[in-house]
Amino acid sequence: MEILASSIVAGLLFGMVLALVALGLTIIFGVMDIINFAHGEFLMYGMYTALLASQVLGVDPLLTLPLAALVGFLLGIACYKGFITYILRGPMIAQLLGTFGLMLLLRNIALLVFGSEDRAVHHGVLVDKSFEMGMGIIVPATKLAAAGLSVVAFVAVWLLMNRTRMGKALTATALNPQGARYMGISTEKMNALAWGIGGASVTVAGALIVNFWPVNPYVGLLFTMIAFTIVALGGFGSVPGAFFAALVVGLITEIPGFWDFLTYTLELDWMYDVPMTSFKYMWIYVAYFIIMVVRPRGLFGWKH
Amino acid sequence: MEALKNAFDFSDQPRLDLTIAGALALFLLIFPLLPVSAFALATMIQFFIFSLYGMGWNTIGGYGGQVDLGKAQYVGIGAYTTAVLLIRWDIPFWFSMPIGVLLAVSWSFIIGYPLFRLSGHYFAIATIATSLVLKDLFEVWDFVGAARGLEISPIAYQPPDYLRLIFKEDIYYYYVLFAFFLVGILYLNWFRKSRLGFQLRAIKDNEDVARSLGINVHWAKIKTYAIATGYVSVVGSFHACYIKAIEPEDTMSLDISILIALMAMLGGAGSLWGPIIGAGILIPLKSYLKEWLGGMAGLAGMDLILYAVIIMLISAKEPRGVWGIVERWRRRKRS
Repeated sequence: MEILASSIVAGLLFGMVLALVALGLTIIFGVMDIINFAHGEFLMYGMYTALLASQVLGVDPLLTLPLAALVGFLLGIACYKGFITYILRGPMIAQLLGTFGLMLLLRNIALLVFGSEDRAVHHGVLVDKSFEMGMGIIVPATKLAAAGLSVVAFVAVWLLMNRTRMGKALTATALNPQGARYMGISTEKMNALAWGIGGASVTVAGALIVNFWPVNPYVGLLFTMIAFTIVALGGFGSVPGAFFAALVVGLITEIPGFWDFLTYTLELDWMYDVPMTSFKYMWIYVAYFIIMVVRPRGLFGWKH
Repeated sequence: MEALKNAFDFSDQPRLDLTIAGALALFLLIFPLLPVSAFALATMIQFFIFSLYGMGWNTIGGYGGQVDLGKAQYVGIGAYTTAVLLIRWDIPFWFSMPIGVLLAVSWSFIIGYPLFRLSGHYFAIATIATSLVLKDLFEVWDFVGAARGLEISPIAYQPPDYLRLIFKEDIYYYYVLFAFFLVGILYLNWFRKSRLGFQLRAIKDNEDVARSLGINVHWAKIKTYAIATGYVSVVGSFHACYIKAIEPEDTMSLDISILIALMAMLGGAGSLWGPIIGAGILIPLKSYLKEWLGGMAGLAGMDLILYAVIIMLISAKEPRGVWGIVERWRRRKRS
């Protein structure tokens, strides 16, 4: 039971971080109907920013969050101004493959600059500490902090989108670009802003994830796929949907560990050869597929 | 008979195109006899492989307009079927290839039925998801060698083994593949003029109108998806015999799926020659870039950076591909 409880807690915590990862993707999709394959690479740059900044400046990785946000914001705007704006009017396939090209570019620049080896954070206030939450649930401090700060960042972006003038203009652009233009909103600026916010939120997520996940230039694709799944589950363009879907996906990644524990305690020896943990990302895709087929708009989607 | 005649009937193509195509076919026929390096020959085989993948993709993605980014799973099914049957039961290529196609097509029907209820981005990501599910399964399935993959040992057979398609020199593979290539073109030529081909183009232009004309949209898409699968699976089987060592990472990864779609888009999706042009440009470019820059110390990934820039330029500047340029040029000349 304790194992199940701690799997669920771990899943929910990871899910909260994933929510922040997927937030940028869902904003960008909502505003301009484009799917960004390079999303995971933004995350990777966030991870490297936090890692290198903390090493160079000698501060805790958690203090580098503003820097990561700045890097992500600038990177997002640069990508939009330099490339995305040219593929917006093209057919869907060109958009998909174009952002795939962007992904390859960002990934290989990272490979060129940072090298291919795994790097991890080894020092910091939170590293290697853990909390006992009662009922035998032990949570690493890094994950707890990452989850908490993710929720804070998520809520901040949500407030920005819903409570400020700028956010309302952004939402208007998402709902009806032409109408927004008639109202005097510069949709071009709003698109760039969406990329900036999207980039910033995902690099912040990266800077949080690097505390418990080693980084290399290839780390992005997994997170891109997870983010796609979350966004599709929650409904493309839906911010609350992304949050709930991320919790579901977080649970899906952590429950298989519990299942393996069961097979060992119940001595189901025919299951020994195929530990469920080696499938843990597969279940995400299976869940995506099933939900898509049953409810093609996603759980909370408004855009089709 | 009628179908066969249709397959050989290229009369709706401009004469210039046919002359160029004929000259190129002749060039490809004598290419291995020219004094070329082994590397050039291997690149040419890759060109054939990917232009066949591209032709398969072109049926559903080009003529049908459904952006399918999960073709790699069928490469995997074809390759693994051939490899497993050969290694475990010594079943030769010419028997295992149809079995592979059968398996791949059955799988495509199973997932195609729910897949085609989706459209647009949802469809594209769902195809990626199915491909990744299959890849993850193969990576832990011991029967097919899990993540290590399978290896066909050439020592166990006596090359040249025409039945099992085990050869020492690439030139044999070249001609086998060249034959597949010609058959592939003929089939595609028949397909685009078939009832299904016209239905598919109607669906691409406007799905609702197509439905109102009495076309069973869902079924037409599934059938075409199965055809595309067949192409990819046949070449996947060949790939297993040619490469002789297959693993999930290099038969089923997302990169392969994307490369297949890219090939068709670069050449011009929805045209007969598009995927061939695309593969003819992209494959030599990719492999020579890798040869040239990949080995340089301190420049790891430089070849892929250039490759990425090329992809980005194409999708920004010329999303209709090379064939789009040709057609625009022709239209301007006519008017």
